[in-house]
Amino acid sequence: MPELTADVVLRKIKSGEKVERADLRGLAMPKAMLEGVSFRRCDLDGANFEGARLAKAVFKNASMREAFLAGADLREANLENADLEGANLQGAILVGANLNRANLEGANLQGADLGGARLTHAQLDSAKLGGANLVAAQLSHADLSDADLSTAKLDEADLTSAILTDANLEEASLVGARLRDAKLDGVNIKGANLTNADAPGLQPAGDASGRIKRYFGKGDVLRNAALEFDSGASVEIESLFEQCTIALGEGTELVVGKAGMLSGCQIRGAGKITVHGKFVERESPGIVGVTQLVVSAGGSIVGTVEQPADNTRFAFEPGCILRMKIQPKKDRPNERTGKGGRQR
Amino acid sequence: MSNGRKTLVEEGTQFKGSLSSDCPIEVKGRVEGDLTAPALTVSPSGAVHGKVKVGEMKSQGELAGEFDADLVQLSGTVKDNTVIRAKSLEVKLTPANGKMQVIFGECELEVGSEQPAKDQTKDNKTPEKPPSARPPAEAAPPPETNGSPSVRPPP
Repeated sequence: MPELTADVVLRKIKSGEKVERADLRGLAMPKAMLEGVSFRRCDLDGANFEGARLAKAVFKNASMREAFLAGADLREANLENADLEGANLQGAILVGANLNRANLEGANLQGADLGGARLTHAQLDSAKLGGANLVAAQLSHADLSDADLSTAKLDEADLTSAILTDANLEEASLVGARLRDAKLDGVNIKGANLTNADAPGLQPAGDASGRIKRYFGKGDVLRNAALEFDSGASVEIESLFEQCTIALGEGTELVVGKAGMLSGCQIRGAGKITVHGKFVERESPGIVGVTQLVVSAGGSIVGTVEQPADNTRFAFEPGCILRMKIQPKKDRPNERTGKGGRQR
Repeated sequence: MSNGRKTLVEEGTQFKGSLSSDCPIEVKGRVEGDLTAPALTVSPSGAVHGKVKVGEMKSQGELAGEFDADLVQLSGTVKDNTVIRAKSLEVKLTPANGKMQVIFGECELEVGSEQPAKDQTKDNKTPEKPPSARPPAEAAPPPETNGSPSVRPPP
């Protein structure tokens, strides 16, 4: 039983008394009008606020484990450092809410509106965010490992240094999202829209073989993106890449699959490339500094290859199509090469 | 028909000028000039600098100039300012710690099914047009064959 009943809480609120730090476990206040009320440091584990109007309410440092907040209006609410582990926020409105450092591990946020919400350093591992609106949300340093973000809208979201290990971003929209230094090993981006996404900081963790596989599947389209793959990564592209810049770390293996098409792209760095599909450069040279370039039967390259100082190891299979110029390394001032550094 | 015969430029021999043969040519020495033949083999000690039109070319030596061939197997060295045009090019991959299969200088490769039809005069062994007189590759791309992808040549 809670320390205070719903009626007592409402009376206290009406009379202007504070309910902060109260034990309100299991409190049932569905559809209550509680805008701007402060529940700071309250214990609200298992409380029911379904459909409640809680705009600008304060839940800072509150414990709300397994709380039921489905459909609640929490716009601009302060939930900083709140513990919402396992809470149900399905369809809740959290536009502009402050969820910095909140614990939302395993929480259900399916279809929730988190547009512009602040979620820096938030704990969202295994959270259910399918179909959620996270446009312009601040998710830097948030832990989203194993989270379900399928079909979520993350346009212009800040995911800098976020952890997305094994997260599901299938068919999510990440237009203009910032993913610098994000950890993306094992992430599923099948059908995701990464147009204009800034994803230079892929930091895959090593598997048993020490080689991380990145796969861009058929039907995916990536435009105007700058991608960096660290040393030891293995990348396979079966998608359409347009106007993209790809930086390969030392020894990184890039395979353009039979369905892969890199149009107007540039690849730089001391990696190894195998082309079964097509590569067409935008600016010459389109391929710079790669240590190995293999074009299989059916593969095609239209562009210029600038070799590294030690020369590129070439292999061409009968049946390949080449409109290729090969040139030696050219010194450029302030050049950064092939260590995962961003190349423009 | 060559009937097993071949024209041999032996190691230590240097040839300058035009060389046209009905037989395959094997170059172990050095040739500078125009060369026309059904087949050309350049040995590791061999070098061919000039304009070459052949059906098949296997080179382990040094190439420089303009080379037109149907089938090319390449290793050795390709020097600066070289153009290789072929319907099919094969360069085998060597182990990363092994010797390079081919060392390419500043050169150009035009390979694949979008090559304009070969000058018929070549097969008649009376070439009249130099390789540079070929129409631009984008002028008449042939229909795709054998499932080969269609790629436009660079502008």
